[in-house]
Amino acid sequence: MLFNYTIDGFENIQHQDYFALQQINYKLMSLYRSFGYHQISTPTFETYDLYVNEDSIPSDDLFKLVNHQGKVLVLKPDATLPVTRMAAMNHPNSQDVIKFSYETNIYRNFSSPEIIKKEITQIGIEYFGNNSPECDGEVIALAIRSLLENGIKDVHIDLGHVGFINFLFDDLAFSDKEKATLFKYIENKNIGDIADYLEKLALPDDKKAIILKLPLLYGEPKTVLKQMEALCINDKMRQVVEKISEIYAHLEVINLAEYVSFDLGFTNQMNYYSDINFKGYINSCAEPVISGGRYNHLSEKFGIPRPACGFAIDLLKVIDYMEQHQLLPQDDQKIHVLFYEKSQKSAAYKMAEQLRSNGSIVEVFLMNNTKEIHVASFQENALYKNAALYFLTDDKLLSENNGKFLEIKAIGSESEVA
Amino acid sequence: MVIRFALAKGRVAKKAIELLIDLGYVFEDYSEKSRKLIFTDTTGTIEFFLVKSPDVPTYVEKGAADIGIVGKDVLLEHPAQVYEMLNLNIGKCKMCVAGFENHPIPYGKKMVVGTKYPVIAKDYFHTKNQLVDIIKINGSVELAPLIGLADCIVDIVESGNTLKENGLSVLAEICEISSRLIVNQVSLKTKREMIDPIIKAFENQL
Repeated sequence: MLFNYTIDGFENIQHQDYFALQQINYKLMSLYRSFGYHQISTPTFETYDLYVNEDSIPSDDLFKLVNHQGKVLVLKPDATLPVTRMAAMNHPNSQDVIKFSYETNIYRNFSSPEIIKKEITQIGIEYFGNNSPECDGEVIALAIRSLLENGIKDVHIDLGHVGFINFLFDDLAFSDKEKATLFKYIENKNIGDIADYLEKLALPDDKKAIILKLPLLYGEPKTVLKQMEALCINDKMRQVVEKISEIYAHLEVINLAEYVSFDLGFTNQMNYYSDINFKGYINSCAEPVISGGRYNHLSEKFGIPRPACGFAIDLLKVIDYMEQHQLLPQDDQKIHVLFYEKSQKSAAYKMAEQLRSNGSIVEVFLMNNTKEIHVASFQENALYKNAALYFLTDDKLLSENNGKFLEIKAIGSESEVA
Repeated sequence: MVIRFALAKGRVAKKAIELLIDLGYVFEDYSEKSRKLIFTDTTGTIEFFLVKSPDVPTYVEKGAADIGIVGKDVLLEHPAQVYEMLNLNIGKCKMCVAGFENHPIPYGKKMVVGTKYPVIAKDYFHTKNQLVDIIKINGSVELAPLIGLADCIVDIVESGNTLKENGLSVLAEICEISSRLIVNQVSLKTKREMIDPIIKAFENQL
């Protein structure tokens, strides 16, 4: 017999957290709306083919199932692909500017470690049809403000550009395996192993020196830009430097540059990023909570060539952080609990309905015990922490206060009957 | 702001602490026999604690420590999202397949492997397309082939003396192992002014 019904990687959301989640969700959607984003939603299932051809998520990480027609489906492992496809299907004019926001759960069947969440609640935006640095700037600005507006101060965005490494590697004939190995080492800033690995490759020393500097291209943007300029060996790399310096200049104009630093050591984990990519951190939170970037070639796969840029926030990670730092919106609305004696039923329900019409929360119960026992049982229940208890007996209305019962005229007025 | 080190208990920690002392940090309350868990230097800018080696990547990944020093064997066995910034070239040894010299690895036939490192062993034999049953053993791995629990073992080999004394020898080398300095991915960015000089100092000591 199976007694343990818990599945690794899936969790309930408690009522306090869910209240906070809804509040934060509303706040963020209002923020995105004020920038012209329309909220949309895509199905929970996608076709397996959509992801396996894209090569952006390992096939092992997908939750697969087969429908009654024998078609292989997956639980949506990412939001960007379906949203891009939706934009391509519904807006065939590739010149259209389309701004979408979404809130969705995504599912990844990570094999290890067991504690890692497999159901991830994401909130994000996708901005299609604009390839300007101002568009990148808007997306990054909204990523920063999404955290700031929730009271999180230690916000930090690491901005990179996959082109810088890719355009360098284009000029150095590496095999796919060599590229993958070097990417892995650069991503981990594993300078020692890069040096050992490069020694085995036939490559001019000056080029090796450039590769060894790639993992160290991070930190204060102006310094990094200077270091990048010195490493450019072709025009495409120079264009990358120009592009991200323009984005940085835009962020300076809108006064958000202080939150941004550079890291050119990001390689292309999601294969569709073609250009800038960024991660958002909260300083004392060990893992990134935001991930985003530009994917100019993804929409082509759905028949409509169209540049795009966006990001997603891992909402539950942010909520965990906010909870630790007492930043969560609290549900402090009072609950009115009204007990009635059988004879007072109609009066009690009428009273409750009247209070509800004024926006109060009211619950009604039949008194089947002494007042003291009812009070004791509700005091033990965490869900009724904010509850005020009332008793409607013999045409008298009593309000409970620290174990005492005072007669009042009406709920809400709370004034004692003289 | 304090920079926290997580060090793997054992010889490597001793060397790492020596390195820190050589860099000019003074740990007044530290002695090998001390039962304290956390040691802070006199300027209050660095503290370190000693943990079991497989826990080091976990502490660093989760941000409970900013920097960790741990063997490559542990990083291969327990992969973590950390920056692996320096090869310290201390605690050098090799990850090897060992067994009886007159019984080489029977490629094409299933064999039983005893090891403390099931992930590394599985990866290695899978790339070789070798059929294996892996048995996780927590210590005295050399015992396994002697008493017939396993055909061979996967373990780290430093001098090879333990193997020799038990009549075993290295059948294949998997990779080189040495201690690495790992850094939390967020700390590297947010505490850069403090972490950079420490990494530089370690680099110069090499």
